[in-house]
Amino acid sequence: METLFAWVLLVIPTAATGGLYLLLPRISRRGLLFGVYVGEEASGSEAARRITRSWYRRMGAWLTASLGAGALAALVFHAAAGSPVATLLMTSGFLVEYLRAYRRARGLAREDPPPAAAAVLGAEEPKPLLLPYLAVGLGLAAGLFAIVYTWSHYDSLPERVPTHFGFSGQPDAWGPRSLATVMLLPFLSLVLGIALGGTALLVSQAKRAVRHPDSGVSFEAQQRFRRVMGRFLAILAILVTGMMTSLSVSTIRAGLGGSQGISSLNLILVVGIVLYSLGGTLYIALRYGQGGARLERSVADHPLTDGLADNRHWMLGMFYVNREDPSFLVEHRFGLGYTLNFGNWKAVALFVAFIGLLLGITFVALLST
Amino acid sequence: MSRTKQPVSIVVEWDHEDPVYTQIARQIRARIASGDLPAGEALPPVRTLASDLGVNLNTVARAYRLLEDDGFITIRDRSGAEVAPPAPGPDAGSRDRLRGELREVLERVRQAGIEPDELMKLVEREVASLSGQWGKSK
Repeated sequence: METLFAWVLLVIPTAATGGLYLLLPRISRRGLLFGVYVGEEASGSEAARRITRSWYRRMGAWLTASLGAGALAALVFHAAAGSPVATLLMTSGFLVEYLRAYRRARGLAREDPPPAAAAVLGAEEPKPLLLPYLAVGLGLAAGLFAIVYTWSHYDSLPERVPTHFGFSGQPDAWGPRSLATVMLLPFLSLVLGIALGGTALLVSQAKRAVRHPDSGVSFEAQQRFRRVMGRFLAILAILVTGMMTSLSVSTIRAGLGGSQGISSLNLILVVGIVLYSLGGTLYIALRYGQGGARLERSVADHPLTDGLADNRHWMLGMFYVNREDPSFLVEHRFGLGYTLNFGNWKAVALFVAFIGLLLGITFVALLST
Repeated sequence: MSRTKQPVSIVVEWDHEDPVYTQIARQIRARIASGDLPAGEALPPVRTLASDLGVNLNTVARAYRLLEDDGFITIRDRSGAEVAPPAPGPDAGSRDRLRGELREVLERVRQAGIEPDELMKLVEREVASLSGQWGKSK
């Protein structure tokens, strides 16, 4: 069972991630080519097609190599080693090929005056989504519950507590009881739930990048994309909160001897989260395209404006840096979803605080063991 | 709130000789005058418009203040602004100010070599294009 699960974890996420990487040029907005704004006409030129064809060939090779290396690692070392090896190789391949394609796309970029910025007025703003608020509220409530529950049982725990569970749900590693070890999961639950829910909230206020002239089409496409991403992330946040809280409680119960291990609910939630993340990402990519690109066909030849079109504000086509722009999140130029405005100190501070908190919690827990 | 039939766009050109806040204010003013943005229409909050255009918050706030001073919009707390209905009649202060501005324009017109006849035709054409909106707002 454990071996089968490890093989499933190797094949499905690697194939899905590799498939998504292969797909990315097809879901990009017209005018953008591997993180560079080259203009709507040039993005459909023969030169652009050559770069894209090369991407398909090379990423296909990386995907095959990743699956092969993962399978080899699983056979030679341990079944669980396959997935990390394949993921590492796939991610490295993506970075290498992206930078290569980006450099080639830069050669097609125009050196014209910077593109204009445009905004839409008089459009009906949709009602705010409630799900992200619910996700943040649940993350906060469940995280605090997990902390209080763990804290209240701390003195009753034995000297050695379970620190890791196998695929079967039984503990397969034990460590000395310490506040840091025991409180790791509840704190992670609190931080992850709020962070994911908060991201869903920010997505609903992310920067919009429209075409001009627009007639409302690209604006409407953006609005729909923002809402679907907001919902997707909020549901993911709720699932993660549920899994982390359940895991926290199960760990304490197992430590107290109240149960043999974590419940099957956790396993179902883990599988559900993996499937939901991969399936949801692929669905959004295919149905909507990046930023709603697939919904804006009728105006896809009209020029993109400021946010996505201005090459001056993008480093390596991945990092948006605009000190004047108050936006927290902006659309990816290549890939699905959003990235930070690294020119907004509040956005950077929030990001650093989140990463610092995660690393800090993990570091303290590692030190204590 | 009355709704426009179709959303309208405003554009900021980075290499334009006018500052960005002037470009924003001018285009919103033109949209209001043409009836694309009728009285009562909500304008986006300062943060939203600044985010969409990728400009500083103060730039949009300055454009909104300019429009408010000219009576084109009413700024609401945090939630943005809305298009103001035209005043029922000019007060003495605004009449004098507008007369001064008109005189400045006429001086530039004369300096540009436009003859009075041509100027009158221009004025008549522009008034005719706006008169429909004047009628609607009464």
